[in-house]
Amino acid sequence: MKPVLLARKISHGPGNRPRLSEFDLQLQPGDRLGLLGVNGAGKSTLMQILAGILAPASGEIEIRGNRLDRAGPSLRRHIGFLPQRIPVYPELSVNENLAWAGQLRGLGGEALGNAIDAVLQQVQLGEYRKRLAGRLSAGMTQRLGLAQALVHSPAILILDEPTAGLDPLQTEQIRELVAGLSAETSVILATHLLDDVQRLCNRVILLDAGRKKAEHEVTPELDLLKHFRQHAGGGALEATS
Amino acid sequence: MIGVIALHEWRRLRAGMMFWVLLAFGQLIIAWLGFAQLEAFAKIAPQLKAAGSLLGVTDLVLVPTLNTLVLIMLLGMPLLAMGSLAGETHSGRISLWLSSPVSGSQIILGKILGLWLASMPLLLSACATLAALGLGIDFDWPRFLLAVAGMLLLSLWLGCIALFISGLFDHPAAALAASYGALLFLWLLDSLSGTGAPWYWLALLPHVEPWFQGLLRSQDIVFFVATGAVAAQLGVYSIARRRGEI
Repeated sequence: MKPVLLARKISHGPGNRPRLSEFDLQLQPGDRLGLLGVNGAGKSTLMQILAGILAPASGEIEIRGNRLDRAGPSLRRHIGFLPQRIPVYPELSVNENLAWAGQLRGLGGEALGNAIDAVLQQVQLGEYRKRLAGRLSAGMTQRLGLAQALVHSPAILILDEPTAGLDPLQTEQIRELVAGLSAETSVILATHLLDDVQRLCNRVILLDAGRKKAEHEVTPELDLLKHFRQHAGGGALEATS
Repeated sequence: MIGVIALHEWRRLRAGMMFWVLLAFGQLIIAWLGFAQLEAFAKIAPQLKAAGSLLGVTDLVLVPTLNTLVLIMLLGMPLLAMGSLAGETHSGRISLWLSSPVSGSQIILGKILGLWLASMPLLLSACATLAALGLGIDFDWPRFLLAVAGMLLLSLWLGCIALFISGLFDHPAAALAASYGALLFLWLLDSLSGTGAPWYWLALLPHVEPWFQGLLRSQDIVFFVATGAVAAQLGVYSIARRRGEI
């Protein structure tokens, strides 16, 4: 099957201390890929590169067979990105924030209205559509961010620590939303929570100091903690010892 | 897409407090100053007539009030523009823009147009206040309309400059301070240097005042179009740099 996203030997940062080093990644349609690593492992840098916010210093990225650096900005239409800091306008309503996210990704008219209705139902914010985004709780803001990333029905959804800073109940709501995404959407989920990977992903890549250390299929038998200690925690432990 | 971004920018600014404070403050100052100038003019009008002076309401009421409007625009546009790029970066919303399938030039042109739209209520309400004078007294309409057209170009130019500076910083307050520094420098440049100085052509007021005197000069239009375009291009460059494209 042709991968929906392909990254070959992507690197970023200064040569003597790269934030990401010769990283390879392949995402198949419907994949749920977890990126697991400690803080500073390079997850956010990788997310930003895959979302088209940063260009890699070397290497190439293909989305549906087209090179991201050659096809121009229009290729970003296939990507939905939820960064760690939710990009909402607090002075605008939930509806206006979603309309803007959709318009920015090329939706308009009736299609935009239908997409907003559908995504609001999906993230269960329908009754709050007229509320100012600045008046939402942390969990609701996170759901709004997720709705912004989903409103244009992207083929690839990139989530950068979507449950960070949420209470257990809100974390559970976000996990349920991600788990309930359609099989047509491929997901890349950066996290340092083993539970997120175990429950939401079918594959996991362990990162440390900008390098891929291991890649596994996620099965109930997989001892993630052991692998995390062995691979992803290494750099951090060395750095602190 | 440029129009969509412009409308979003206008909606965002209109939803904030700054826009309304600026509009109220600007309108108050212009109305108060306009009528104070008119009152002063009414007192000296008989003497002017007796002395055979050619100075009329356009010179003694309109021009000083428009000069104040220029100052209000210089102070107001950086306040509106500081959130446009520096504010987006500071709040983390820049990721939404940079990850979108929109080119840097569309973002910059849309935001400039949005800032220009947001300056319209202040500009047009101030001009309408001044135009109301024309209903009751002898008024030089062609000169007034040229001044209004000039102010429209000036506000567009201010949007280009303030947005470019906003793109250089990650914090709106830093962008505001830098914009004020740059615009104050351009505003005072003619009084700080003689007309023969090589940088005199960069001074702002010598390019604005001719409009208020009823002079339409190509060199003034070239100044605003050229420097505004350079600022817009540098803004596009700053987006490309953020995206790591260059």
